[in-house]
Amino acid sequence: MDPLLSDDQHLLRETTERFIEKSLPLASVRSLVGSGDGADEAYRSQGAELGWFALLASEELGGGSISGEGVADAAVLAEVRGWFLQPGAFVDTNVIIETLANDTSGVDRSEIVGSLLSGEAGASWALAGPGGAWEGGAGLHWHPQSDGFRLDGRKTLVVEAGDAAWLLTTAEGPDGLAQFLVASDAPGVTITGVECFDLTRRFYDVEFKGVELGSDAQVGTLATAPPAFDRQLALASVLSTAECVGAMDHLFELTLEYSKDRIAFGRPIGSFQAVKHQLADTSLNLEMSKAAATAAVKAVQVGDQASLEVASIAKSFVSDAAVELAHACWQNFGGIAYTWEHDFHLFLRRLTTDASLYGPAAFHRERICQLEGF
Amino acid sequence: MSAIPNLEEYLAEARTWLEQNLEPKDPREPMRVRGVGHSSPEDFLPARALQKKLYEAGYAGISWPAEYGGQGLPMEYQRAFGTMARSFRMPNLGVAGGTSMGACAQTMLKHGSDEFLQRHIPKMLSGEELFVQLFSEPGAGSDLAGITTRAVKDGEQWVLTGSKIWTSGGYYADYGMCLARTDWDAPKHRGLTWFAVSLKADGVTVQPIREISGEAEFCQEFLDEVVVPENDMIGELNQGWSVTQTMLLIERSSGRDDPSFLPPVDTGVDPKLVQLAEQVGRSQDPVARQIIGQIHANDYVRVKLGDRISGLMRTGDKPAAGIASYWKLAAGVHDPIRARLIMELGQGVPLSWEPGDAAGERVGIEYLNSRVWSIAGGSNEMQRNSISEKVLGLPREPSYDSNRPFNEVLREAHSWTGSE
Repeated sequence: MDPLLSDDQHLLRETTERFIEKSLPLASVRSLVGSGDGADEAYRSQGAELGWFALLASEELGGGSISGEGVADAAVLAEVRGWFLQPGAFVDTNVIIETLANDTSGVDRSEIVGSLLSGEAGASWALAGPGGAWEGGAGLHWHPQSDGFRLDGRKTLVVEAGDAAWLLTTAEGPDGLAQFLVASDAPGVTITGVECFDLTRRFYDVEFKGVELGSDAQVGTLATAPPAFDRQLALASVLSTAECVGAMDHLFELTLEYSKDRIAFGRPIGSFQAVKHQLADTSLNLEMSKAAATAAVKAVQVGDQASLEVASIAKSFVSDAAVELAHACWQNFGGIAYTWEHDFHLFLRRLTTDASLYGPAAFHRERICQLEGF
Repeated sequence: MSAIPNLEEYLAEARTWLEQNLEPKDPREPMRVRGVGHSSPEDFLPARALQKKLYEAGYAGISWPAEYGGQGLPMEYQRAFGTMARSFRMPNLGVAGGTSMGACAQTMLKHGSDEFLQRHIPKMLSGEELFVQLFSEPGAGSDLAGITTRAVKDGEQWVLTGSKIWTSGGYYADYGMCLARTDWDAPKHRGLTWFAVSLKADGVTVQPIREISGEAEFCQEFLDEVVVPENDMIGELNQGWSVTQTMLLIERSSGRDDPSFLPPVDTGVDPKLVQLAEQVGRSQDPVARQIIGQIHANDYVRVKLGDRISGLMRTGDKPAAGIASYWKLAAGVHDPIRARLIMELGQGVPLSWEPGDAAGERVGIEYLNSRVWSIAGGSNEMQRNSISEKVLGLPREPSYDSNRPFNEVLREAHSWTGSE
C-alpha cells in the first residue's frame, strides 16, 4: 500500500504472508464458510506470537511496535489480512488494547491486556446500535448504581464476539458517553450468532439485560470517554480501511489476470477498450484508495485532532471505492462470478461489509462536516 | 571559451545587476502564466525590451550552449540565478514565452541543425522571436499523428497549407513550430516533418478562439500556401514523429500538464463551499452536508494521490509515463464531478448574478472549465490507454492505420466497417 515501507515493515509483511499462507489461506477460509466455526484458537495465539496484538501497547505492558510507529505497523498487518480475507477481530482487539493501555484512571488491567497480547483471550468492541446507528453510545444505556453501573440495551454487528472473553462497550447515560469493559460471560450478557452477508467473518448481536458492573469496569472517565471514543473510531476506521484496501488489491489482481486469460472474439477480453478503460478507472480508484489509506495511517499515527477528520476522509472514500471496485470486477468476471465456487463473492461480501463497518461513507461524510465545526 | 566563474562571485555580480536593472518583488507572489486574458501584442513590448536587456547582460539562457547565445554555464548557476530572480520583477512573456523557452527551444536544441540553432536560438533568448506550438488540428487531437496540414517542396522552399488549433498565446507570438505532413504515401508516423513558420508571413491568419466561458486564451491559425525556407525545417525530413516524442517528453517532465489548482486541503474544507451552503441556507441540510463532505474527501485524496505518485516514481518498477497518467485521469474524472456537485449544492443560486459580480459568476465559469483536463493534453481515454497498457500490461487495440499509406487510410476512413 505505502510504497515507502521500511525494511522492518517489509519483513513484518513477508512473515505475516507466510504465516497466513501456511495456516489459513483463502481455501481454508472458504472451508470455514457455513460451518459456524471461526479459525481455531491456535491461529489467534500464533498470530499473537508474530506481534499482531502487541503493536499498540507499551513495552511495560509487554507490547512494542516494529518501526516505532505502531499504527503504521498494524496497518501493514491489516492490509495483508485483508488480502487473504482473514477472520478474527484484529481491528477491534488492537483498538481495545490501545484504549486500555492509555487508560490513566488507575484500574490495573495489566493482566487482561497481557492475555489479549498473547492471544490467550479475545476481545470485541460493541459499537453499533440496532437500526444502523454508529454514534458512540447507540443502543446501550448505562445507569449509575450505588457501587457501580448497570447496562441495558443491545449492540449489533459485533465482530467475532463469540470468541471474545471481553467486550468493550460504548454506552449513553444520564451524564453522557461512558465506556465499560465487560466480561462476555457476565450475568445478563447474551451473545447470539446471526446469519451474515460476509462469509469470511462472524458477527454477533449482544444483548445487555440489567448487567451489573463494579465501578472498576469503567474504562477511563466520563471526561475521557468522548475523546477516547473519537480516537477508537479513527483507529478502527484506519485499520479497517487498510484491511479493505488489501482485499481490493487482491480482487483487482485476480480480475486483471482474468481479463488477460479469458478469450472472447479471438482475443483476451482485456484487449478491448470497453474492458481496459473500465480496468484503468478501477485501477485509479484503487490507487486513490491506497493514497487515502496511507495518508490516514500517517495522521492517526500522529493522533492529533486533525487525524480524526483524515480517518473519516479515508473511511468514507474507501468505503465507496471498495463497493465500486467490487462491482467493476464483478462485471469483468461475468457469469463465473455468479457461481458459489468462484472466490469472487467472498470478496464482494467482505468489501460490501467493510463499507459499512465502523460507519458507512455517509456517516463519515457527516462526521467530516462536524469535525470541521460546520 | 572563458573559464567558469566562481558561483558566489557570479551570483554577487548578478545580484548587483538585478538590483540596478529590475524592480524588486515579493518572491511569494505567484507567476501568472495561464489566462493572459485580453492583452494585446503591444502589451508585451515592455517585457520583450526587458528580456533583451537581460539577454545582453548575459542572464538569459545561463545554462544554454554558448554557441547559440547562451552562457554555457552549469545548470546550478541557472538554478541559483532563478531562485535569486524570484525577488525581482523578471520579464513576463506570458504563455508564449514559456512555450518558446520551454518545449520549443528545448526540442530544437535536440533536433535542430547547427545553422538553424545559430539563427533562431539567440533571438528566442532575447525575446525577439517568440515561438508557439502549431500542433493540434481541428481534425487531429488525441490522434496527433493523423494531422493533415501539408508541406509541399517547391524548389528551395516548402509551401504549407492547413489549419492548427489550441495555440496558447498565438496572437502575440512571432513563429510557430509547426508539424506538417511531407509524405502522404508513407504510414502516418513516417511522413511527418517539423518547420519553423513565421506567423507574420503571407498566408498566415491567427484568430483567437472564443471559448465556452467567453474568454479567449487560445488561437486557431490558418495557413494558406505559406512559404517556409528550406533551412527552417527542424530535424530530418519525415522524421517528425521522433521530434514529437522529444517534445511530449519535455512537456511532461516540465509538468506543464500537471493539473494542480485544487484548494489547499490540509487547512480543511474549501471555504467557498461552506460560503455557498450558507448563502443558500443549507448549512444544516444533511444532503448539502453530504455534498460538502464528499467534495472535501475527494479533494484531499486527490492531493494525497499526488504524493503517492511521486513515491511510486521513485521506487516503482512501472514506466513513469503510465504512472503520471493516474494524476491526469484523476483530474479528468473528478473535476467534472466536483463542478456538478457544487452546482447541485448551489440550488440554482449560481445560475444568475448581478452585472459585474465576479464572485457570483465564478461557479458557472468553473463549471464550464471543469472538463479542461478531461480533454486537453491527452483526453481521459488516452490516459486510460496509457494506464491499461503501460501499468496494467493489457494489450493494445489492433491498429488499422499505422502500417498503411496515410492517403489510403484517409480515403477509406469514412467507409470503414471494421471487417477485412
